[in-house]
Parts: sequence; C-alpha cells; structure tokens
Amino acid sequence: MAALPLWLRNTRSVIGLTILVLVCAAALLAPVIAPHDPNEQDLLNTLLPPVWADGGDPAFVFGTDSLGRDILSRLLHGARVAMTVAISASFGAMLLGGFLAHVAGYFGGWADWLIGRIIDVWLSFPPVVLSLILMVGLGSGLWNVILAIILVDWTRFCRVLRAEVLVVRRRDYVAAARLLGFSHLRTIVREILPATLPLLITLMALEMGIAVVVEAILSFAGMSVGNEVPAWGQMIADARQDIYTSPSTLILPAFAVFITVFGFNILGDGLRRSLDTRLTQTERA
Amino acid sequence: MFATLLSLFLRRLAVAVPTLFVVSALLFIVLRLLPVDPAAMSLPPNATNDELAAMRSTMGLDKSLVTQFLIWLGQILGGDFGNSIQYRLPVWQLIGDALPATIELALLSMVVATIVGLAGGLAAFYFRDGAGEAVLDLGSVVILSLPDFLWALLLMLVLGVWLNALPFMLRLDPGIERPVITGFLLIDTLLTGRLDAFASALKHMVLPVLALGISAAPSIMRVLRSSLLDVYQEDYIHQARLRGLSERQVLLRHGLKNAILPTLSLMGVQFGFLFGGTLLVEVIFSYPGMGNLMIDSIRNVDLPVIQIVGLTYCVMVLLISTVVDALHLVLNPKLRAR
Amino acid sequence: MTSDLSRRHLLQLMGLGTGAAALASVAPGLAWAQTKDTVTIAWPTDVPTWDPNQRTFPDGQALFKLIFEQPIMQDPKLNFVPGLFTEWTTSEDGLSLGFKLREGVKFHDGSPLTNRDIRFNWFDRVKESLSGGNKLDAANTWKNIQDIELDGDYAGTFRFGAPITTAVPWLAFMANYVVPEAYIKSVGIEQFRSKPIGTGPYKLAEYQVNSRMVFERNEDYWGEKPAIKTVVVNIIKDPSARAAAMQSGQADLTVNIPVRETERLGKVPGLVSELNPIQRVVLIQLRSDLATADQNLRLALHHAIDKQALSKAFYGGGAVPLSVPAPPGTAGDVPGFVFPYDPEKSKALLAASGYGPGKPATLKMAATNGHFPSDFDIARALVGMWKKVGIEVELETIEYAKYFELNRGGQLPELTLYSWENATGDPEIFTGYLLNPKMPFSPWRGEQPGDQIAKLFVETNTEKRLAGYRELNRFAVEMGATIPLLQSVQTLVRKDNLNYLKFGNGWVLAQTMTWG
Repeated sequence: MAALPLWLRNTRSVIGLTILVLVCAAALLAPVIAPHDPNEQDLLNTLLPPVWADGGDPAFVFGTDSLGRDILSRLLHGARVAMTVAISASFGAMLLGGFLAHVAGYFGGWADWLIGRIIDVWLSFPPVVLSLILMVGLGSGLWNVILAIILVDWTRFCRVLRAEVLVVRRRDYVAAARLLGFSHLRTIVREILPATLPLLITLMALEMGIAVVVEAILSFAGMSVGNEVPAWGQMIADARQDIYTSPSTLILPAFAVFITVFGFNILGDGLRRSLDTRLTQTERA
Repeated sequence: MFATLLSLFLRRLAVAVPTLFVVSALLFIVLRLLPVDPAAMSLPPNATNDELAAMRSTMGLDKSLVTQFLIWLGQILGGDFGNSIQYRLPVWQLIGDALPATIELALLSMVVATIVGLAGGLAAFYFRDGAGEAVLDLGSVVILSLPDFLWALLLMLVLGVWLNALPFMLRLDPGIERPVITGFLLIDTLLTGRLDAFASALKHMVLPVLALGISAAPSIMRVLRSSLLDVYQEDYIHQARLRGLSERQVLLRHGLKNAILPTLSLMGVQFGFLFGGTLLVEVIFSYPGMGNLMIDSIRNVDLPVIQIVGLTYCVMVLLISTVVDALHLVLNPKLRAR
Repeated sequence: MTSDLSRRHLLQLMGLGTGAAALASVAPGLAWAQTKDTVTIAWPTDVPTWDPNQRTFPDGQALFKLIFEQPIMQDPKLNFVPGLFTEWTTSEDGLSLGFKLREGVKFHDGSPLTNRDIRFNWFDRVKESLSGGNKLDAANTWKNIQDIELDGDYAGTFRFGAPITTAVPWLAFMANYVVPEAYIKSVGIEQFRSKPIGTGPYKLAEYQVNSRMVFERNEDYWGEKPAIKTVVVNIIKDPSARAAAMQSGQADLTVNIPVRETERLGKVPGLVSELNPIQRVVLIQLRSDLATADQNLRLALHHAIDKQALSKAFYGGGAVPLSVPAPPGTAGDVPGFVFPYDPEKSKALLAASGYGPGKPATLKMAATNGHFPSDFDIARALVGMWKKVGIEVELETIEYAKYFELNRGGQLPELTLYSWENATGDPEIFTGYLLNPKMPFSPWRGEQPGDQIAKLFVETNTEKRLAGYRELNRFAVEMGATIPLLQSVQTLVRKDNLNYLKFGNGWVLAQTMTWG
C-alpha cells in the first residue's frame, strides 16, 4: 500500500505504534518475563507497597494486591486479555460491520433499508448497557466478551463505511468496472474496497482502543473473563476496597488501561491525518 | 415552524415504535438464554414442587417463547411493568425512583461537557497552527484515552480521598431530609425552598458530573474545531471579511453558526453515550440511579427489572436523538425552509 | 423453663457490653452533643421486603427490630427475656406453649396489640403460607401448629400436632415478628409492605429502595424510649464506600467493612473500630451429588485449607478457626476435636480417587462479594489453596439472597461459601438446619446425616439432644458433609462519642445508641 511510508512520517503514528509494540511485547512475553505466577497468592505478604515506597519488597516491584499476588505479573498477564480482546473484537466488528456496509452501500434498495433499520435499533442502546445485557445472556468468558463487543460495535464500522461506499460507488471507475462485466464481488473487492480501506484502517485503530475500554468496564463490573484470568478492569475493581491504604493497586492498572488506549487513539489520530480521512466521520466517544 | 416540528415528532414516533418493539423482543430473547428459572426465584425457599409448577403456569413459562413474549408485551402496553423478584415491588416504582436521578446526572454532565467542549473547540480554533493547538490537541487525546469510570475513580481518589474536598457518595448529606415532589432532587429542593439541601445535592453531584463531563468534552471540542476549519474554507467567510466584518463578527455570524450543526449532531450521539456512561459512574459513587438499579438487578438476576431498565435506556436515547433533531431543525434555516 | 433455656444458651462471649459502661463514665458533654438527636448509619444491605416474617434474612434483623418486636427477645448476652410475651411456659412433651401477652402495647397506628394478633401471625399466616398463599420462610418451622387457643385478650396457648422442641428460640429468631392483623386486613399485604407498622421503638418515616430509610422515634412506645430521635440508614452496598463514609464523617457508624480498613479507620481521630466475634459461622456448604459425591474429594478439600492463614490474612488473626459448624462455647462445639490442615493428606486422598498431576479434580464454588467482611477474598484464597493440592475450582459470585432460590432449583455448584447466623446458639439452628435435607438451607441431600437430624428434632430431653448434636457435628465433618472455616467477626466503626449496646450476635440496634 502506498500509504505505508506516510504512516512512519507521522510522529503520532510512530508514538502510538511504539506504545502498542511495547504493550504487545508485554502480552506475548508475559509468561517469560513475569516474575511470578499472576494467580499465586501469598497471604503473608498482602498489599505490599511498590518497591520504591517504604516497606517495599524487591521481589514484588509494583507491590502486591489484597491476596498477596504480584501486581507487576498481573499487569503483564492482563495485557494478554486486553490485547486479545482488542485485536479479535475489532477485527470481528470490522468484518461484520464492513461486510454489511459494503452490501448496503453497494446494492442499496431493500438490503440498505434493512441494514439501516437494524442499525437504528442498535443505536437506541447505549453501548455499555447493550454489552452488559449481552454478557448477562452469554455468561462470562474471553470469547463471550469478544463476541459481545463484536455484536455491539459492528454498527460503528457499518454506519461510517456505508456512507463512504455510497460515495465511492458513484465514481466513474466503479461504473466502468461494471460496464467491463466485472462481477459484483470483484467490483467490490477490486474497486471499492481499496477506496474505503484508509477509513477502515483508521476505524480499526480507534475500535481497538474502545474494545480495551469495554473489556475493562465489563471486568470492572465482574462480567468479563473469569476470576482465574488476570484482567485490568478486575484489578481496578479489586483495588477499590483498599483505595485508602494502597492507592497504587488502583493507579497502576488504571494507568495500564490509559496508556494502551492512548496508544490506539494517538495511532488512530496519526492515521487519520496521514490517510486524510475526515475527523467528523470517525469521531466518537 | 410548528408544523415542521410536529411532522418531525410524528416521523420519529413512527420509527420509535417498531424500534422499541424489536428492542424489547431482543431483550426478551437474550435474557431467556439465561439458565435461571424465574418461577423458582419468585417463590420463597419452602415452596413445594407443585407450587413451582403452578407458578410456572401463572407466569406463562410453560408456553412457547413467542406466546411468553406477547404476554409480556401486552402487560407492558397495559401499563403493567411487572414486579421485581428481589424487592417484590412494582418495577415502575423502582424506575420512578431511579430515572429522575440519572436524568439529572446526565443533563448536568452534558452541560459541563458542552461548556468545556465548546470553549476548548473555540480555543483550539483560535490558536490554530500554533503551539496552543498542539497542546490542546494532545490534551484532548489524553483525556479521551481515559474512560469515564477511570475519571470517576481518579477524581474520587484525589478530590474525595486525598484532599477530602468533596463528598463522593449518595446524593445528600445524611440528616438532610429528602423532599419528594417531582422526584428530581434538584428541583424538589428548590420548590420546597430548602437551599441547604439544594447545595448539598449539588455538592454531591460535582464529582460524578465532572467525571462524565470531562470525558465527553474532547469529542465536542475536536469536532467543533474541525467544523470551524471546514467552514473557514468556504467563500462566504472570505466575502464577509471583504465586507469589512471584524474577525469576531465573522466567527459569530458565519463561522459558529455553520460549524455548530455538525457539532450538534455529534453532541446528540455523545449524549446517548454519556447516558450509558452514567451506569458505572453511578455504581462508583453509590449514586441511586438507573445504573445502580441495573447492576443490582443483574447481580440478582432480577429479570423483570433488567428488561424494563434496558428498555428505559432505549426510550431515553430515542428521546435524546429526537430532541437533537428538533434542535437541528430550529437552528438550520435550510432544513426549516423545506 | 425460662431459666433452663437461658442456661442452655448462655454463651461465653468475648468483649461484651462495654458500650453502656463507657456511656455511664462519660461526663455529660458539650452543648452540641446534647442537641444531637440524629444518628446516621451506613448499612450494607436493604431489607428484601418490609414484611419481617417473609424471609429469614440475617442482615435485615437490626432494621426490622427498629419497627417490629418479637414475643420473646434476647438481652445482650443472648438470654431469652420477655418481649411482647411477659411469661411463657412449655409443656414437657413439647406439644404446647402457653403465654401471657404484654398489656397496653400499641401499634404505630394507635391500635392495641391483643392475642388476636398472635393467632394471626403464628396460626392464620402460617396456615395461609402452607396452603399456597402468601409465603413465609418460618411457616415450615410452625407447620405442626394445630391451634392457638385464646384466653381473654392477653393470654393463650399454642397447640402443636408434633413436638416443636425449639419453639422458644424460634419466637426470638428471624422471621418471627408480630405484625398487626387489623391493619394488614384493612390495607392489604402489599400496602403493608410499602408502609409497614409494628409495635417497635421507631416508626418508618421515609423509605427509598436500596438507598435510604429514615426512622422517627415512636413517642407512644411501651418500653424505655430510645435516646435518639431520628435514625437515618443509608444503604451502601460497597464496603469501600462505607469506609469512605466513615472517613469523611458522612456516617456515624458502619459495619462489615474489610478488617484492614477497620484497623485503619480506628486510627483516624474521632473514630473507634471494633472486631467483635459473633454467633455466625463461615463455612462451605457442599452438594451431596456431582463431584462432591466422592468422600475422598470432600475430605481432600477440607484438609487443604489453612484456616489459620485465612484468619491472619483477612481478620487480623481475630477469627477463630472452626472444626465443627458451631462457634466455640456453644452447646454444639466439640472441644478437643481438630480437623487438621494437611495438604499431603489431601493429595493422598485425591490420588486414592484417581486424581493426580495432569488429572486435577474440577469443581465450582459460589461465593458472595461484600456480604460479610472479605468474603470474596476468602473465596479466592481458598481457590488458591486448593490449586496447590491439585483441585481446580472455578469461582462464581452470587448475591446472598439468591442462595435459597438457586438451592431450590438445584442450581448451586458443588461448593458454596456461606455464612450462617444463629443468634440463639442452639445447635439445631446450626447443623440441624444447615445439613437438613428437608430444609431450604441445605444443598446436602444425603441420607446421612439427615436421618440423625430427624431423630434429634423430636428428642425432647435436652441433655440427650445436645449430646446428639455434638456427635452429629463431629460425624458430619468426618464424612465431609460440611467444611466449617471460621467463627465470623463483625467489624464495626463508629464515632468515638457514639455509644451502643453490644449484642453477642452482632445486632447493632439504634434504640440502644446514645451520644456521649
């Protein structure tokens, strides 16, 4: 893709990519670099402060939580959940939303009408509420979280992309492709998709950040992955009861969520500039 | 003007009715996936199996899913929202207590978000191409990257716990009696002339409102700025300048007026998100609204409440988008003329 | 009979009744303290319903006791003392209970209390519940009631079809309150639930579900009127939010916050914290089917638990580890019997059942989060301990109130971390209920020890009955039908000038509070 060098010329994209590469590395290498088993409890050493504070223990660099589990190890392993959800859920939402958007925008007619009405129904739910209700129905678990996010967030792709497809479809080269006897599928894949791709990529980056937040929200509410899997939102929820005695147990996972989402957002911002997609198209909460 | 508004509302209603129908069907099906028995849960523990069977048939659980759904829908349309399983109280009563609190929270937060967002957008536009813009821009990405519930926790930690400057639980200082007229605490305290209670209620809302307002502001700011940038490329701005209008007049008469429309659309979407965002923020601040009711009924698998709360959220979002559309109509001369 | 009962239930409790003594020694204080006639309590749970007899719900008792009263009450040492009954006698055969009702007692609407109300509560409502009407949790206990004969307006006799050996403790226990017959019949039970009245020292003035209740002093109360005029109860489910309420001075008293927070708040000027052992046991309830049908596995689960470590990590060492499901000092305790912490034995038992490395036993456990101090932490610590011996346990959170429903539907997992309160201390209301397959509390449906319990239920000789329960307790633990963990500790934080009367079972009653 010709846009590739542009990515790297944009400082924002570089910052975002750097952060994300680090988070990904932490996630992939967690089993190797984590000093402890993230679920190993040490009931004699609960709520130790970080190593730089009074009473810190070098064995637990960021201290321990209320069950004596090593916070650093849990943060590293939490990155696995966050990144798995970010990548799979946004990819799934992109596939579903992108597919429906191209169908709706390209064919128009009743398909467009139907997809439009489905989006209307979806948009009448605040996303947080919808994902919670879905989790109630699906039950907890990593793949259910991913499924819930896909089922909630496909509309983000679909709405924006559909409008873009509508615009692209009217261009001359698309009409020309049809006149040359290209099949619908080939026209979409060869002629329309390349034109909508920059928008799609930008949306992906932003959606990954959103997926990280949604996973944190769900695990904060105790409705994400099970208890045995370390997740940032869960660490934040656990830390609330010790907010006075050891605020670091709250601040550290909160910072992990922040820096990851920041990485995705700043990358998305950079992409938006270098790929020249309009801000108003992609701006959301 | 009135006729256009009326036709807008009618059109909106025509969309809302089928939407709500589908939403309620979806809610019903998703929650029926749960492996729980609403009949067993609405009986006391010493009920016999015969009573359980009888209860299942009174609740219609022995019928098909479609029949069950139609029964439930019929009840809702007849104004019977059912009873909470855990509280044995009518659901409308629970909603009636919780909804005004959430509406107050969402509205105030939206006001804060709007003020901060518009001011920020104007500032970013004013300082465009300078260092100021870069700072504001980066700042907005930073703020956007911290979701509202983390803002809530951080504000609670800093302003509530460390500085002990603001209360961060419930809605009133203890000992202050809560007047009930409309159900909206801020209004009721004013109606009864209880300024102390009003002040206390406001103080309790500062942190949750800030958490929600701050996290919704950057989007507004960014869209306003970019809309202004778009508008300033139009010819009429150039012409206005040629006519000798000052920069400020250009901004107010032409710039803002045209840039506000896309911003308004976004604010409608934002308000919908913000309404959903109240959920966790309420839980964090023990704020007795819909969010707490929702989480509480999810934990207790109180299906009748979950269904109606879910539906209420949808009704609110539809209402918000209708209001935003109406505002659009009022503000946009082109649409009005049609 | 009364004295016999109180002897039977005399409990050796630590740290009792210091509040009142402290109150007497405080010099009559500052002007502001004298004008202070409100107390604000941050309480962990709302009542499930304002019909106090509908559900057995330990956490609601302190709230019910503000409005409603019981025929027999308990003093701070948990002796049975006259309540609305001034006298009572039980027959040797356990088939009848005669009573005299207190005269001159009025409900909050001004109507007088008569023996008609007693008949209404323990006969009419029980029969209604048993025949499928409005359900009461206590109806099963009284299912053998044949009649309540009335004698004039203020006396009568309960007649039972079969002996009810624990009639007296029950009249002082949960779900046995006097509610007004005339009022309920005129306004209906629904209206009663939203505007409840009783004979108690406070009237309910304001109620917002899940959020706030305000009680005003009943100026017509028959007994000693409370010192504090207005009691505000804020329902704050989140333990950290309750701690914060104390820290910021928004609440005057709270209970059941984590021990660490309690200790921290105790150091805040103006606050006092307490760790009170109470008549509540923390235990694991097991199912008699599924994976826990295997006795080796059940015992392996038990041997793997380091109860001392649990107490140390979560209760500052203040919670007594238990080997039988009865607190130390109560009649059901078996002194000298210790079920050892022995992970090696766990592994051996697991191996005997074919489990081992690469083939772990997998189970599920339900636990509450925020129902009693550090409950969820204990559950997770247990999961960690089991993992070390090769048992994989998946944890799910449930609300305390959901336990019965899940149990009835057969939907509880193999294990449930549970806390059981028994203010009376009688072993029947511990093991006799917790492991009784006929009761809604027990997920254990096995023939043993159910048959033994059934026999003890009709044993009228007190000595034999209690000895039987001690034997039963030991037997039930040795067969792995129950896994007792700790005697529960109530954590309490209050302003240092707020005094209250300490009850052995952890009741915190606003009518006993005074500002010093």
